Amino acid sequence: MNKKTFAAFVGPSVAMMLLFIALPLATVFMQSFHVTIPVTDTVEIETCTPGFAGQTCVTKIETRPVFDAAGNPTTTTKFVGFGSYQKVLRLGDAAAALAKSSWHDLMLIDFWKALRFTVTFTLITLPLVLGVGLAIALAVNNATKAMKGPIIFVSLLPFIITPVIGALSIRWLFIGDGILTAGLEWYLERDLSLFAQAWTLEILMLFYRVWHVAPFAFVVFYAGLQTVNQDTIESAIIDGASRFERLRFVIIPHIMPLVVFVSLIHLMDSYRVFEEIVGFSSQAHVISLQWLTYDLLSPDDSGNRSISRASASAMLTMLGIVLILAPLLRRTWQDFTKGRI
Amino acid sequence: MSDALFKQPLRLRLASAGFLSLWCLIAAFPIVWIAVLSFKEPIDSFAQNPLNVIMGPTTLSNGKGLSLIDVVFGIATLFGAYRFATNILSPRVKAYSPQGYLAFGWIVGAATFALGFVFIFTIILPAITGFLNNILGPLGTPIIGHTLQHYYAVWVDNAFYENFINSLIVTAGVTTISLTVGTLAGYGLARAGTMLAFWILIIALVFRALPHSVLVAGYLPFFINSREILEPLFGTSAPTLYGQPWAVIAVLVAINQPFTIWMLRSFFQNIPAELDEAARVDGCTHFQAFRWVIMPVMWPGVITTGLFSFLLAYNDFLVTSLLLDAQNQTMVPAITGYFNRETTTTDQVEAVAAAVSITAPLFLLVMIFQRQIVSGLTAGAVKG
Amino acid sequence: MRTILKTALFAGAMSLLSGGASAACDFNNTSTVKSLSAGFEAWKAVTSAMAECGNVEAELDQEFRKKQPDAFAASPSLYHVGGVANSTAVPLIDAGTIRPLDDLVAKHGGQLKPNQLVRIDGKIMAIAMMVNAQHLMYRNDILSDLGIAEPQTYEQVLAAAEKIKAAGVVDYPLGGTFKSGWNLAEEFVNMYMGYDGEFFNSDLSPSINNANGVAALEMMKALSAYMDPEYLVSDSTYVQQQFQQGKIAMANLWASRAAAMDNADESQVVGKVTMSAAPTVAGGSTPASTLWWDGIVIASNISDADAENAFKVAMEGIDTEMVKANNDAAVWLVDGYEPTATAAGAFATASNGAKPYPASKQMSLMHTALGNGIAAFLTGEKGAAQALADIEADYTTAAKEAGVL
Repeated sequence: MNKKTFAAFVGPSVAMMLLFIALPLATVFMQSFHVTIPVTDTVEIETCTPGFAGQTCVTKIETRPVFDAAGNPTTTTKFVGFGSYQKVLRLGDAAAALAKSSWHDLMLIDFWKALRFTVTFTLITLPLVLGVGLAIALAVNNATKAMKGPIIFVSLLPFIITPVIGALSIRWLFIGDGILTAGLEWYLERDLSLFAQAWTLEILMLFYRVWHVAPFAFVVFYAGLQTVNQDTIESAIIDGASRFERLRFVIIPHIMPLVVFVSLIHLMDSYRVFEEIVGFSSQAHVISLQWLTYDLLSPDDSGNRSISRASASAMLTMLGIVLILAPLLRRTWQDFTKGRI
Repeated sequence: MSDALFKQPLRLRLASAGFLSLWCLIAAFPIVWIAVLSFKEPIDSFAQNPLNVIMGPTTLSNGKGLSLIDVVFGIATLFGAYRFATNILSPRVKAYSPQGYLAFGWIVGAATFALGFVFIFTIILPAITGFLNNILGPLGTPIIGHTLQHYYAVWVDNAFYENFINSLIVTAGVTTISLTVGTLAGYGLARAGTMLAFWILIIALVFRALPHSVLVAGYLPFFINSREILEPLFGTSAPTLYGQPWAVIAVLVAINQPFTIWMLRSFFQNIPAELDEAARVDGCTHFQAFRWVIMPVMWPGVITTGLFSFLLAYNDFLVTSLLLDAQNQTMVPAITGYFNRETTTTDQVEAVAAAVSITAPLFLLVMIFQRQIVSGLTAGAVKG
Repeated sequence: MRTILKTALFAGAMSLLSGGASAACDFNNTSTVKSLSAGFEAWKAVTSAMAECGNVEAELDQEFRKKQPDAFAASPSLYHVGGVANSTAVPLIDAGTIRPLDDLVAKHGGQLKPNQLVRIDGKIMAIAMMVNAQHLMYRNDILSDLGIAEPQTYEQVLAAAEKIKAAGVVDYPLGGTFKSGWNLAEEFVNMYMGYDGEFFNSDLSPSINNANGVAALEMMKALSAYMDPEYLVSDSTYVQQQFQQGKIAMANLWASRAAAMDNADESQVVGKVTMSAAPTVAGGSTPASTLWWDGIVIASNISDADAENAFKVAMEGIDTEMVKANNDAAVWLVDGYEPTATAAGAFATASNGAKPYPASKQMSLMHTALGNGIAAFLTGEKGAAQALADIEADYTTAAKEAGVL
């Protein structure tokens, strides 16, 4: 395939990715080194607001933006180097906490708190998703033919359901005296409040994520199991391999590329965990890296967005993803140079 | 091969069946539960006793309920629809679709099925059971509280159908464009094998991992001010991109590209290169080879990839909620509107009803395409 | 296709309406008017009254505060009419994206009362339509059964809560809008105002890390001990439901929620909830609550003709007719409002001398910092003084970026 044909085939796709992914990313990168500040001056202003009976007027010192000739507020943008990164990372405080070897102090800094949760969340859900997915795939493969269809149908439901709705439906089961909390309370004979402390919330979030993603792992593995060579299995049985040995030495190696594929997708998705924080409104106890970025980006009550800090936090999140993906990327590179890809 | 070799001990079979039942219960319970409470009056929906939520005494005492006949017929219809979708629809579609238009055939088939399902369930079924309830006496008396008032409020009073139409537009747009662009790129990448192709794939992989909130933050100011920014280029006809469904379609297609091209590339790699090389020897260009040799055999992979695009577009919350205004809002961000209001309990049950309404098309989708998902994946779209 | 469908439906709806409700709007609006506002009951009433004039596209969204500044800064503005409250008007005024209304009020605002005109630096910037405040609601049956008098102070609230807890008649004696973020910060602002605290020094640097601030936090913690342990996710709707389902006996809740207690469709406590003034605290005389107003503003990045038209439509939305049809949806400022028992608490709070919410740019920044920082104290991660010091540091960072300091 010559260059021109290749460009014609790949062009539209690459153009879209450049325009809608690479370009915003480049602006975010630039913004993380700059801070834009509105120019203001202080004046004394009288404000009259309605009350129940009559108006209340107060005179206060207020900061007012300076408007230019066209009626827009004036701003200044200055280069701050790694200043915004420092504000997000708070390396000084983090070092002090480490010097005292106080985990508690380190966890008071938003970024490190979010990083702690994001990494543990990613690493705990990964084996659970793979394990549960594989177990369901093996069990369905075992089931009688008539039952396979309906079981696959039910199993796929948590995966296809809209994530926001899925998280809400789990939330309704547990919040306050939701039906399942009530059931647990009855079983354990004690009062439970699952939304009142961090660790129960984290367990709920882990449960939701595994519930939501395990079906994807299942359907991929199940598709893989359909292509296992029956002759190999048969000869393994004749050689006296136990059930476990067959799983360990025939089936798992066969679906290994699929395990890598599912792990890859899952690592990327769970590292940007976000819906769970919103769905379970856990921000008072537990936050994630993407939530931190989102929170800095949303305008606060004064309409200000901390764009520079948000960009810095976004770039740091990206750095983390690249680090996590690095081993897999290296493997792909080796496959490529060996001409296997 | 002898089946005796694969025979399993009873203990294993029981353990496996037990595990599956438990899993199915966990998988379905939250969804079934929200469906149940959406059919009850607010006092029942948020009742403390789970039995009250299921049986709905308050709803029943208001004269709204289902009889045994209704329940039996309802379950039978659901089961029939499921059997039809999984066993009968697929061969029909394959038989009636013209050569090379299988995907189109599926769209028509799925739409017909969905309309038929809604028609039977909301018009024919109530007519039959209504008639039977009247003549069967005790079997026909309502025993379970059941009301459609929240659905009526959502779809008719709050004009949820507008959001449904918006969802259809966005989802259809994203799926079609994403597949068209992605199929071409996937084929090009699969057959190129150059260093450039490799780097495109790796960079796409990194793009796939980006947090979406970062990207959306990049778009928002530009979308809102696009009229001012684009005026020098387009003159006075420059559009405001904020709130435009097609702008959101473009964004979602781009976000979805990395996954699409990876899936389709590995799928095309499993189609032997000899096929199109033979065609090229016969004097075809690459495009002709693609059109006449590859397109007829690529549908299983394209349908599977298309389903993933569909899910992404249909389920998206972050992009659509930030870039669309109320008039063009799709269903998912629209329901958060119910929660974001200073809600009454009735509003909340309506939100649940809206949530169930959003889930229903996905339900039908899995019913119809479940086999295609598995066979498409088996055919090689995920071989790595 | 969609426009045709919409027009057909609209024509159908209009022909139905024209029988009885032709007097709903005084004029036939011909150019599009778009509005963006919060989504609670009162706004539903106002925007549907506006829609009777035709060609009105109303967007109701409780997250409107995140969209409004950008949308109004676009040229032309994406919306003509905005719905704002004390604090959400501030960013729009600061960005110069809403226009002074003096001319329009003179021309089309004859029916407005002077109390409705929000004046900033002498210019009318917004037209208020309702007021709101958090005040005490309690279960009169429980309190009289246990022989508890109506609590006037937070110390009495705590004592009453202890008695109710001992009697075990409800799940939790107290409810509270303690959801971390805006709600929690609002509770602190209320309490701190009850202690007569000052938020800023004269140079706008923060001044909450003092004895009053610590006392306010300690009082909030004392109250939270009597609440559902999940108080950090409990917003107004959640507290309202706890009331309706008979799970709590007292709460400091918004006046706009009062009517829901007597809604027979949802509530199991109809007629059992009494509205009273917000309590005072620590022997102070100011109720620990703040007064709020909601009203409309008009964008500046639109033509004068569009602005005039939008203003006329908005006036139709907040006229006497609308108020008569939705009397209990809010404490209206508009002519024709008849206060009922549901509004008693709000009026008592105001007449006891509650102050308006001190809306300003620095206050908005402070509110955000409070919303992010207080939860760490309530969960026990930080002590009161450290939490307040960290909130001050957060405020300082944000205020420097916003050009306030």
